[in-house]
Amino acid sequence: MIKTNVNLEDLSQQEAIEYLKESVQPEIGAIPASVLGDPTFYDLEHKKVFLKTWLFIGHESEILNKNDFITRDVAGYSVIISRGADGEIRGFYNMCTHRGMKLCRADSGNKAMFTCPYHGFNFKNNGDCVGVPLQKDIYGEDLDKSQLGLYKIRIESYRGLLFGTWNDQAEPLVDFLGDFKWYVDILAGRAEMEVIGPPQRYVIHSNWKIGADNFVGDSYHTMVTHGSIAKLGMVPSATYSKKGYQIYTNHGHGLNLGTPNPDFAFPEELKEEYRSNLTKEQYKILSNLKNMIGNIFPNLSFLISHTKVKGQLISNTSVRLWKPISVNKMEVITWFLVEKNASDDWKRRSRESFILTFSPSGIFEQDDTEVFTDITSAASGTMPLVKQLTYNYTMGLHRKPVEDFVGPGVVFDDKFSEASQRNFYRYWLDLITR
Amino acid sequence: MSLEKMLATYEFEQWLYKEAKLLDDIDFDGWFNLLHPEISYQMPVRVNKEGVERPDYSLDMYAFNEDIELMKIRVDRLKTDYAWAEIPPSRTRRSVHNVRLLEYTPNEKAVVNSYLTIYRSRSTDIHHDLISGERQDEFTFVDGEWKLSKRVFIVDQTTLNTRNLAIFV
Repeated sequence: MIKTNVNLEDLSQQEAIEYLKESVQPEIGAIPASVLGDPTFYDLEHKKVFLKTWLFIGHESEILNKNDFITRDVAGYSVIISRGADGEIRGFYNMCTHRGMKLCRADSGNKAMFTCPYHGFNFKNNGDCVGVPLQKDIYGEDLDKSQLGLYKIRIESYRGLLFGTWNDQAEPLVDFLGDFKWYVDILAGRAEMEVIGPPQRYVIHSNWKIGADNFVGDSYHTMVTHGSIAKLGMVPSATYSKKGYQIYTNHGHGLNLGTPNPDFAFPEELKEEYRSNLTKEQYKILSNLKNMIGNIFPNLSFLISHTKVKGQLISNTSVRLWKPISVNKMEVITWFLVEKNASDDWKRRSRESFILTFSPSGIFEQDDTEVFTDITSAASGTMPLVKQLTYNYTMGLHRKPVEDFVGPGVVFDDKFSEASQRNFYRYWLDLITR
Repeated sequence: MSLEKMLATYEFEQWLYKEAKLLDDIDFDGWFNLLHPEISYQMPVRVNKEGVERPDYSLDMYAFNEDIELMKIRVDRLKTDYAWAEIPPSRTRRSVHNVRLLEYTPNEKAVVNSYLTIYRSRSTDIHHDLISGERQDEFTFVDGEWKLSKRVFIVDQTTLNTRNLAIFV
């Protein structure tokens, strides 16, 4: 039984976990609104989810050359990701080990050495402390620089997508992705991919999970929220997004795969490259793909979108991080990816369609952000908890998965289902209560 | 400054004020009429660089990188019943300042830089958004009128503190 008269301010962490255990019920399609609005749950989430799982950092093509670096956040902590002189990619907490000053304030660049702005300690981009101003004079012979190396963060990558985690016990990235790798291959491993330009960043007054929920399985909203796109003739009809499959795997990952497509959504001249990077089954899916929208748990969403711009069909590929800032605020960070060997014209048109549809000015994007903000606002404060407001996640509960799909995971024929959202919250709850 | 340049500066100030008024009044058709058919309308992504390295904005990624056809799609979309991002419309107040005429050929071409501050209020939300930056504009004289043929908006934030760019800069 769910306890009544809950006052979270009086709840210990253990009691908050007990409350979530009882009230988050993906198996019957019931998720309480308070998971989006309550600061106690947000704090729990930070410790139990964001400090435990793999989190997206960026793409290897962003640090292509020796000594290239980027600075990014992992669970709210700034890290320097650097490609060393030996070509290896390493990650460090962006903090001087002497007095804790932030070492590097640039978003990206090319440097073999980082100098702290406070006292001038010097660090090589393999993390070694190699210089302390006036060392002999002020420390004598006693300072052991080998003990002053930068704090390392675990980094692993799959198909060029770089992830980091603060959890030294976390399973290897490939195991965390598990069966979902099959789909990540199509997204990021179908060809040599590159990120164009820096990621775009903007802030929405929204809980981060609304973005993940939207991408992990919600194609239902496109009929209404994105109704303007059909009106403009960029997609054939408002129900265009229904046809295809909804798929989820272990660890909360999920996607909606839109198919079939009478047109090949990718550069024709790269068919050979796709064939050599994908299995026959994966290539068949790619050939028929009209769109692919999904979420790698917890907060990396991705998208392949195929629309008509200026009378010509074009696809664009992007990934986006819903980076939590507080319970009701997140930074959205969006990267545009494109086939490195595509023609300049394809790259230009693909970027054009990305900016038009899913950048901060994107005509798909902007209608979503309006929804995210208002949901968050309605879920905030004490009332949703006291009144135990609950969202309905029952869509598709009556349906059985299909058995004959070529890819792994639990697969449903038709994208309009909330099975992937239920799977997302099942794993979320699993981590929270672990 | 010559009298001719003073008058021209005044003329472009008035042009920019009128544009601000059209956008704040949500007269998108009126605003669209100010655009040159060959317009390039850009808002590059601003980035944090070490030291004084310039430019400190991207040359290959943009929040806007539009031509007239794309601008038309955006304006047409805002007029459908489904453009939720702007239903009801934001209340915006565009202030244009520090207008400087950099190049001027009468009845032909002009280059004008200005600062822009947009105050944006949505619905009952007590938060407001502020978007500020520099506009680097080029104007072309067509049939007795100055049309905007190029705009580069250099925004002052690397992380935009506004929920979307359903509005124009």
